[in-house]
Amino acid sequence: MTQKVIPIVTQPLDEVMVSLYEAQKKIYPRSVSGFFSKWRWGMIWLTQIVFYGLPWLEWGQRQAVLFDLASRRFYLFGLVLYPQDLIYLTGILVISALSLFLFTAVAGRLWCGFSCPQTVYTEIFLWIERKIEGDRAARMRLDSLPLTSEKALKKGLKHLVWIALALWTGLTLVGYFTPIRELLLSFEQASLGPWESFWVFFYGFATYGNAGFMREQVCKYMCPYARFQSAMFDHDTLIVTYDNARGEPRGGRARAADPKSIGLGACVDCTLCVQVCPTGIDIRDGLQYECIGCGACADVCDTVMDKMGYMRGLVKFSTQNAISQKWTQHQIIKRVLRPRVLVYTTILLVLCIGLALSLEMRSPFMVDVIRDRGVMSRVVDGDKLENLYRMQIMNTTEKLQHYRISASGLNGLEIESDGDESNGLVTIGAAQSQWVTIHLQIPQESAEPGSHPIQFVVQALDSPDHVSERAIFLVPR
Amino acid sequence: MRNMRLMWIAWPAFLMAGVMEILVFSMLDPSDLTWFGQPLAVSRQGIYTLAFFMFWGITMASSALTTLLSISPFEVNRCPLPARERPDGCPKQESSCC
Repeated sequence: MTQKVIPIVTQPLDEVMVSLYEAQKKIYPRSVSGFFSKWRWGMIWLTQIVFYGLPWLEWGQRQAVLFDLASRRFYLFGLVLYPQDLIYLTGILVISALSLFLFTAVAGRLWCGFSCPQTVYTEIFLWIERKIEGDRAARMRLDSLPLTSEKALKKGLKHLVWIALALWTGLTLVGYFTPIRELLLSFEQASLGPWESFWVFFYGFATYGNAGFMREQVCKYMCPYARFQSAMFDHDTLIVTYDNARGEPRGGRARAADPKSIGLGACVDCTLCVQVCPTGIDIRDGLQYECIGCGACADVCDTVMDKMGYMRGLVKFSTQNAISQKWTQHQIIKRVLRPRVLVYTTILLVLCIGLALSLEMRSPFMVDVIRDRGVMSRVVDGDKLENLYRMQIMNTTEKLQHYRISASGLNGLEIESDGDESNGLVTIGAAQSQWVTIHLQIPQESAEPGSHPIQFVVQALDSPDHVSERAIFLVPR
Repeated sequence: MRNMRLMWIAWPAFLMAGVMEILVFSMLDPSDLTWFGQPLAVSRQGIYTLAFFMFWGITMASSALTTLLSISPFEVNRCPLPARERPDGCPKQESSCC
């Protein structure tokens, strides 16, 4: 039996460069089932139940998660956040980025293959495509056929379902920013506001385009993470690997044949691993930046190995060290606790604890004080010196709150409030904020000319919380 | 190549416009904005949307300049040689021209 020789053809370099940017051939991923596929579908269900379901959840009298842009309040279950709380969003983003670093260091592109929206929606759209047009071979045949009424019907139905799902996705996204029940009602009555409709269609179109057409191109050319992920890889990172030593030389053979006696490795060269790949690569060529680590090739190869009666795991999640040094599962797991992972974990833990603590210790109201821009300092009632301040009090609870404003730092400092807010008493409704004008007075000539640091204290009357804010009191010469 | 360049211009700009949007409007209430002394007759959502596209336009202009500067001048400018006389590897050769 002669070995199958694959001729190596040299290609001029510039041609290779150009082909990188050429319109890629359409990829028809074949359906696959197995361990990783089950996990992927599990993650798809989990992420999508959360994404589509969360806006429908109620919390008391309101939507549990609502980033109410129209009234500039973010509601997260029991939490009411103001735009001033941007720091928490920053914290969450930093934690997300670090988690990504950690996952990547331990298990490669786990995020990409299992929970990235690009993967998730592509998988859902592919499932629809498969249900309507059939699996890989049927789809390829259908695409090569001239347009018949059957083809038009299948294609039309597919796009219709895609568009419906994309619109629902767009509506759900906008439902995070506008109360979703009202949104759906106005959508049904075709009385959706112009901005809401715009964003429903914009995001719907993006979903339709990204999951229906661009697919792996997004991962290859648009994703910044895909470009620098190898910076977080080391030789102990779990990646999808082809066991070269075991698989080569590859080649077809009868099921009963003993591969050793005919000089072949375990790879039967069925190319199924290439057919199932959502990015259309051949994992047997080694780790490539296009690989999103979804494990589809590992799943399909295992089914082939089972059929052939060979050991599973010709293509599997493993580390470079494990492959080259033939490590056992136990040795691989032991290497997870290496310095890089420990450092990422420590920073991540510190940040998570910090965020949780600061949210826990967050005052149930916030105060901003600014000096009135119009008036520097003035004499009132003949013998009193007055400074004007504008104070914003933001009630971050969902109950009506009473506050008392006091000031200290100068002798004889008194608050004269006008209108309803007598004696520095303020009442603010649930999740409301209010601007209060404060007239601060001292007896004339009780302080040196110049600026004096003073302090406002806002005391909540329904809870023991208080907030202090510093300000300046000006005494003219 | 043209599609790639358009993507390089539009996509990073889109991401950065999103960042701008969050940063600017976390500090600024659209209803405080005025247009030549007049309050704007657009809802908050409207201002968010319009501002996003304004940011996107500006960030795209920046990406476009970066893309332009990263292209060699020989590729941008007209070539005095007729197409078949251009040397090997010339970006303006017909086969690989953008």
